[in-house]
Amino acid sequence: MSDPMSNPLLVQYLPILVFLAIATVVAGAMIAASLVVGKQKPDAEKLSAYECGFEAFEDARSKFDVRFYLVSILFIIFDLEVAFLFPWAIALGDIGMFGFWSMMVFLGILTIGFIYEWKKGALEWE
Amino acid sequence: MATLPDLAPALPEIFLACASMALLMIGVFRGDGSLRLVSWLTVASFIVTGFLLLQGPEGRAVTFNGLFVADSFGTFAKLLILIASSLAVILSVNYLEKERVARFEYPVLIALATLGMLAMVSANDLISLYVGLELQSLALYVIASFKRDVAKSTEAGLKYFVLGALSSGLLLYGASLVYGFAGTTSFDKLATVLAGAEGAPSVGVVIGMVFVAAGLAFKISAVPFHMWTPDVYEGAPTSVTAFFAVAPKVAAITLFIRVLVGPFGDLAVQWQQVIQFCAAASMIIGALGAIQQKNIKRLMAYSSIGHIGYALVGLSAGSVEGVRGVLIYMAIYLAMNVGVFAIILSMRQSGRAVEEIADLGGLSKTHPMLAFAMAVFMWSLAGVPPAAGFWGKWAVFLPAIQAGLYPLAIVGVIASGISCFYYLRVIKAMYFDDVTEPLDRPTPTAGFVVAGAALFVFPVYIFFLSPITSGAAAAAAALFGAR
Amino acid sequence: MEIAAIFLPLAGAFIAGFFGRLIGDRGAQIVTCAGVLIAAVLSVILFIKVGFGGPEAARTVELFTWIDSGTFEVSWSLRIDTLTAVMLVVVNVVSSMVHVYSVGYMSHDPHRARFMAYLSLFTFMMLMLVTADNLLQMFFGWEGVGVASYLLINFWYEKKSANDASMKAFLVNRVGDFGFALGIMAIYMIFGTVEFDGIFAQAASKADATFNFLGWEVHALTCACLLLFIGAMGKSAQLGLHTWLPDAMEGPTPVSALIHAATMVTAGVFMLARMSPVFEYAPTALEVVTYLGAATAFVAATIGLTQFDIKRVIAYSTMSQLGYMFFAIGVGAYPAAIFHLMTHAFFKALLFLGAGSVIHAMSDEQDMRNMGGIWKLIPGTYTMMWIGNLALAGIPFFAGFYSKDMILEVAYAKHSAAGSFAFWMGIAAAFMTAFYSWRLLIMTFHGKPRASEKVMAHVHESPAVMLVPLVVLSIGALFAGFVAYPWFVGHDMNAFWAGSIVMLTGEHGSIIEAAHHVPGWVPYAPLVAGVSGIVLAYVFYMFSPGLPGAFVNTFKALHAFVFRKYMFDELYDALFVRPAMKLGFGLWKGVDIGVIDGLGPDGAAAVTRRLSLASSRVQSGYVYHYAFVMVIGVVALTGWFILAR
Repeated sequence: MSDPMSNPLLVQYLPILVFLAIATVVAGAMIAASLVVGKQKPDAEKLSAYECGFEAFEDARSKFDVRFYLVSILFIIFDLEVAFLFPWAIALGDIGMFGFWSMMVFLGILTIGFIYEWKKGALEWE
Repeated sequence: MATLPDLAPALPEIFLACASMALLMIGVFRGDGSLRLVSWLTVASFIVTGFLLLQGPEGRAVTFNGLFVADSFGTFAKLLILIASSLAVILSVNYLEKERVARFEYPVLIALATLGMLAMVSANDLISLYVGLELQSLALYVIASFKRDVAKSTEAGLKYFVLGALSSGLLLYGASLVYGFAGTTSFDKLATVLAGAEGAPSVGVVIGMVFVAAGLAFKISAVPFHMWTPDVYEGAPTSVTAFFAVAPKVAAITLFIRVLVGPFGDLAVQWQQVIQFCAAASMIIGALGAIQQKNIKRLMAYSSIGHIGYALVGLSAGSVEGVRGVLIYMAIYLAMNVGVFAIILSMRQSGRAVEEIADLGGLSKTHPMLAFAMAVFMWSLAGVPPAAGFWGKWAVFLPAIQAGLYPLAIVGVIASGISCFYYLRVIKAMYFDDVTEPLDRPTPTAGFVVAGAALFVFPVYIFFLSPITSGAAAAAAALFGAR
Repeated sequence: MEIAAIFLPLAGAFIAGFFGRLIGDRGAQIVTCAGVLIAAVLSVILFIKVGFGGPEAARTVELFTWIDSGTFEVSWSLRIDTLTAVMLVVVNVVSSMVHVYSVGYMSHDPHRARFMAYLSLFTFMMLMLVTADNLLQMFFGWEGVGVASYLLINFWYEKKSANDASMKAFLVNRVGDFGFALGIMAIYMIFGTVEFDGIFAQAASKADATFNFLGWEVHALTCACLLLFIGAMGKSAQLGLHTWLPDAMEGPTPVSALIHAATMVTAGVFMLARMSPVFEYAPTALEVVTYLGAATAFVAATIGLTQFDIKRVIAYSTMSQLGYMFFAIGVGAYPAAIFHLMTHAFFKALLFLGAGSVIHAMSDEQDMRNMGGIWKLIPGTYTMMWIGNLALAGIPFFAGFYSKDMILEVAYAKHSAAGSFAFWMGIAAAFMTAFYSWRLLIMTFHGKPRASEKVMAHVHESPAVMLVPLVVLSIGALFAGFVAYPWFVGHDMNAFWAGSIVMLTGEHGSIIEAAHHVPGWVPYAPLVAGVSGIVLAYVFYMFSPGLPGAFVNTFKALHAFVFRKYMFDELYDALFVRPAMKLGFGLWKGVDIGVIDGLGPDGAAAVTRRLSLASSRVQSGYVYHYAFVMVIGVVALTGWFILAR
């Protein structure tokens, strides 16, 4: 087996490896610190698993409000849209007019979707 | 600086995209009563799209940095898709109104799905393939559960979604493998790379191709990726099933052909065997599964599995004639299925939709013309000459035999024989059983569609043999010529 | 004219058959009778033209090409020579009389149009047979008359006995037809053609040709001729393949008269005469024909002695007379055979129609034991029956006298073992013929009435439409022999036949000429036999009615054997019918239902159903099952790809 460092492809991924290592250390340190430093006063509410505002394991027939999901799904869509804007903004100088207009079209489609959901009343709570 | 791409080859798709968004706006501003208006506008925009398609540039045009290709192979398939989608919308309107799900999103979703199909057919890159496929699929998932307060419909939509997601995953995984081992996702470059490779192709590319093929086989519901078909066909609203049975099938099989013949053309020896297997298995499962069915939609689901098997027979020949045969087959398949579903959509007893074969009992007495048209479709589906279905089978089996695929041809003949049983059973029900409860009068639109399709299946097809055949031949030649 | 003579009956059959409902029974009767009557007149004209016009008068009318495949070419054409012309006259005249007679006889039947259509169809087929220019066309007519005969025997299809009889006739004829078909193939192998002209031209040159069959050297012409003779045996009810003829009497009486006495059953005789140029070079085959014909004449006559059904007696008599014709052919006297065929057609048709008239009068009673004492009531019929029987028994100046004597003379003149056998058998048969004919006459017409009073009260003379044909035929029975003698077998013979029949000449000229020089007692022998037969019949049945019973008691076993028709039916039943039924049943239950259906349709259907059940069971409805199948599919396909790489 040859030395992995002799493979130029793998060498390019070295920073990622370093990043992973640091992330692991930082995250580990945080959990360890909270265990060591924080006050431990467990009760039933605190020990239950948290998942989207619901008990993870409970009667599936309990009532809940659909609007909650609607809002969160809509939120995710527009959140991602914004997330998409960041790399675009940075690379705008390289991708030129084509890049600019592509994003405009994308935003236009998104806007249409936004108008649709607004008109449908998806954003009204009551 | 990237320059603006040439938009002309993609003009029909761009138009349809704009049109569907405009329709959405029209619908949402006019409110729920706008189904009819939006539907007819959808059909109109399909027609305009088709017109733009025919006005498109001659020959093969690649744009969007090689992601998009427009050629006569695509044009042929796109025209079929547009026809199928238009008829599906036309047939749906009355059905939706009677079923009290008359919402304007329905035609818009069909328009979006159609847009996805057009994009699929024109895909020239694994990425654009995926985007088109997903645009289509997402729209289909939604309309499958369009009757959202009916358990069966939501179940169908959910099943379709879960399994479709699985197949998309397979497809993406395969695409990543192909990219990893071949270093490109472009069809043109893939073809060059694979043609340049010496010796046996690398395992990675082959596995990647299998995964991509599996993802696509799901969309055409070829065995063993067919399991969703009967459940979804049965559960989805009938008008949706009518749409499912035709347009996505045409789009997916066209894409299937493009992928296998284009980038993976040099692996033909490998994929031919698998396609043969899928073809044989589909024909057999399609024939056997249908025998037990009492629900005519389920019956048509198995029937469509079987017919995809026959179409794949043509593809497995791997020749220009084979591809031509598939295209001819799909054109005829379109006519037959649209006709049958137009009749199924008309199956109502005192306003209530019914879908058992037994409900057709004695149709020959109550609606002789309808029964006769249905009989014509059934004969044609069974492949009995001189109905068009026979010529379709002829067009796919001949190249297969020329390629020496005798076992496949024999399996096909046996499966045809078995499938005759359940097609004839429908005829038997119509002509020899007693009337349980007479069906309502079909709407004039449905009547027109049925009559038109029946006349096309027999005898008009025989006179139009040559334009369709030559169109398909030109399309197939364009595909092979591009390699 | 030739075409009209042959196709008019077809046109009649077509119209009556397909438009019978439209034109009604009367219309059907008029159409068919007119067609056949015109055809009869035309054929008489043709006969005069061809028979007395010298050798050039024979003609062939080509209609169109039938089969043209490689070197094998067959056309539809009408060959009209003297032989055909004779047959045309016989067929058309008898047929037209039967048509007319049927109008009266079938007047109470609901299916008159169908009956007339069948009769005309039969006539057409018979005409096709006799005008054939090649063996294949003859075979067409041959099968056609078979079908028509089948349809007519089974005309009263609601009668089980008629069903059985028609099937029997068809099946037994199949045996013969198979022989005929093989014969045609043999002829084609030898001569390379089935056209008569071609065959006859080559006959002499192929006289010594042989076949090699499974290592045997077989004389080719003998083989071919024997096969053809088997065909003739079937159609003409010669001993061995005769069992269908008596049963065929289940059909309406006009049918018996036309088909089973005058025309169809003589097709075999005609065929052998037509093939005379070939048979002349197959002496062994001719010897077989002689023996079999003579045996038939004798055996049939003995059975005729014992029967009580009036039509069956006449049927056996027909068979017996056919035997005469065959042994005449066997000794090479084809003209004599055709002569007898012609006279026999008249007097036998007369007898049958007369019997029909009796049956008609007796309210459909056929058993002679239930008749008697009616001669005063139906004098016309009685007279006709006398004429017919006198002709049959060979009493001088009646038609049968000339032809039968001629046949017996040629048999004697042959001076061979076969000839002598035929001669003595013939004499014996002549004696018995006379006996049973008068037995029939006496039992039917004389003595005390044995029928019920109701029937007797109803006895009536037949209407004119039935009597006129009888009169016409009786004229034939009276004068046909006397008038036709010089042309058929007399000194004008060679000019008359004009080469349509070929007889090889020995040192004393042809066999017919030899027959004119037999010892003086020979011509009187049949007459003596006939007259003594008649006298004995009077003794047995008129003057001393106890004698027959005593006679039967003395020779019980013999009588039973003869009465039961020499056990032929029982023998065939045990030998062929039962084993065939058993074999068929076994094949049906074991092979067809068990093996072929089991593995074939039923099995395939069951497998399909099982597979389809299995495939729908896989369709469980659970998404994870579906996903599982998909994943398994991907894995399997991937594996296959990698392995196949």
